[in-house]
Amino acid sequence: MNISKLKNGIGALVQPVVAILLGLLIGAIAIAIVGGDISQTYAEMWKGAFGSFYFFTNTLSRATPIILVGLGTTLAFRAGFFNLGAEGQMILGGLCAAITALYLPGPGWVKMIAALISGIVAGGIWSAFAGWMDAKFRMNLLITTLLLNYIASLFAGYLVAYPLKDNTGSAAMAQTKMIDHSAWLPKLFHGMSLHAGFLIAVVGAVLLFLYMRFTVSGYEVRMLGSNPLFAAYGGVQRGKLMLYSMIASGGFAGLAGAVEVLGTQYRYLDGSLSTPGYAWSGIMATLLAGSHPLGTVASSLLLAALQTGGMGVERNTEVPLEIASVIQATLILFVSAKISYSFIKRKKARAQDGSVV
Amino acid sequence: MDQLFDVSLFNSALRMVTPILLAALGGAICSRAGLFNVGLEGLVLFGAFFAIVGNFLTGSVWLAVLFAVVCVMLFSLIFGYLSIHLKANAIIVGISLNFLALGLTSFCLRAIFHVKGAYYDKDMKGLPQLDIPLIKDIPWGGGVISGHSPLVYLAIILVFVFQYFLFRTVRGFRLLAVGENPVAAKSLGIKVTRIQYGAVLISGLLCGLAGAQLSLGQVTMFTENMTSGRGFIALVATMLGQSNPLGVAASSMLFGFMDAVSIRLQGFSMPTNFTNMLPYVVTLVMMFFFKNKSYVQEARKANESSR
Repeated sequence: MNISKLKNGIGALVQPVVAILLGLLIGAIAIAIVGGDISQTYAEMWKGAFGSFYFFTNTLSRATPIILVGLGTTLAFRAGFFNLGAEGQMILGGLCAAITALYLPGPGWVKMIAALISGIVAGGIWSAFAGWMDAKFRMNLLITTLLLNYIASLFAGYLVAYPLKDNTGSAAMAQTKMIDHSAWLPKLFHGMSLHAGFLIAVVGAVLLFLYMRFTVSGYEVRMLGSNPLFAAYGGVQRGKLMLYSMIASGGFAGLAGAVEVLGTQYRYLDGSLSTPGYAWSGIMATLLAGSHPLGTVASSLLLAALQTGGMGVERNTEVPLEIASVIQATLILFVSAKISYSFIKRKKARAQDGSVV
Repeated sequence: MDQLFDVSLFNSALRMVTPILLAALGGAICSRAGLFNVGLEGLVLFGAFFAIVGNFLTGSVWLAVLFAVVCVMLFSLIFGYLSIHLKANAIIVGISLNFLALGLTSFCLRAIFHVKGAYYDKDMKGLPQLDIPLIKDIPWGGGVISGHSPLVYLAIILVFVFQYFLFRTVRGFRLLAVGENPVAAKSLGIKVTRIQYGAVLISGLLCGLAGAQLSLGQVTMFTENMTSGRGFIALVATMLGQSNPLGVAASSMLFGFMDAVSIRLQGFSMPTNFTNMLPYVVTLVMMFFFKNKSYVQEARKANESSR
């Protein structure tokens, strides 16, 4: 490890830290405006997120789907594709996992693994559909993924409201039946909400990091994202790589849905995956981490902590829960200025080369 | 079928299309100036919220619209500053602006009105409905065209204004040049950043109007995330219409019409999930007929990709 490398590492960390501090500053201003006590509010936020072992595991389990979605988006963003369809992919993944776990015969662990795989496949296919439309018909990916979100969520809503509706209980909610206990993802600690999905997410992050860093196709993905012209010149087939990276990206989102269904909800309930905004938090985490797989884990934990901390604030102070989303959004805005910072550096370097913009 | 396609269907289609049309025009101006404004959704949401706040503070509808427009223009300046001045990726700034709008409006809803989810005040007056004297009496068309808020008519007029501005005036040509090739435009002495800031401000103005129509046009209320994807639909309309005001108007109309049809179909005992899906599916199908520019060209033009 030489000094310049170390310097780069620290430099990469300075920007997000500054953004976090600025985000907290804006949050403090917002708290002051609504007449709350700033230090008390932040103390409650900390307590709500990390105050006890129970809250800490709660934060981790909230971070689980965010990490998985974030990893999928990381891969897509690195390849240069704006996959904003994580929500739809996650919903279909969760739905398919629930259906598989409910209707596949066999022992519990078979059901569980089949459900996880079917979630990955469903998310991957839905995402690949958008990728295929872009590669084949030049339909803008950003737009198609957004539109497919609505279609997926309405379709899943229809299925659980009519053919798959749970008519056994007294509650007339649009949801499937409850999955058999044997197919649930095991809890990591007794009595806590944290489940094995968190381990899957962490392992996924490490694998994605190794893939992007050390394999040939990982290099091709990064090259396609950072300079598509150079990648084309180097013989990278954009259409094929796009399809693969979209499948993988959607697969992660689908896995996020499956894990949430098998580990927390135990059934697919209409709106239970979209209302907490897991998919959009995952996209935020990716932006915050600058599309770095391990960084995405850290930023997902941060966002999850803000969200669970916000609930603590809501419970114990006058300041509304939405303070968390204000801090999150300002964070992301400041981080997007970070991207510009590296761009300015690049521009300066180019000016030294004497080439035009 | 007679029941399905009657006067009130087209009337409500025209009303529903207005926020989308206004926002899409804003998106078109931005994209013609070389900025892809994904933040339309957030800007419209800000517009809807500040229109209600303005109405609450001043008690006057017109001051409320003005207040909304000014506030949204300020927020669009954030988009402009980050994407033009700091050269941040416009798509990322747009996405984060949407997050900011969602978070800030629901926070302020709690902070200002002390309610969660939705704010409604029955004493609050919305935009007036204009009955146009002569047109009102035309048998079929009168029922469709007459009886809307002034912003609906303004939106239709603005389509032609922008069509004229972009393709018939010197200033419009400069704006097109900036979007087509900023370096060449700069070498001709065109003030690139100034024109881009202008485009961003215009789109802020239009999104403010769109939001005002949304929250003050039909029902006078604000609900959390009340745009519910309309800004993204406006983005689709911008692209389907090739950023051409008339084309944008046509594609917005298509969406508004489908939206109205989907609400009407619910009366025909069809599952709401499928009727609600209709506008999105039709838009997706329409995109098949719209050919995007080659990615190589785009990459050359922008020379920086996502991340």
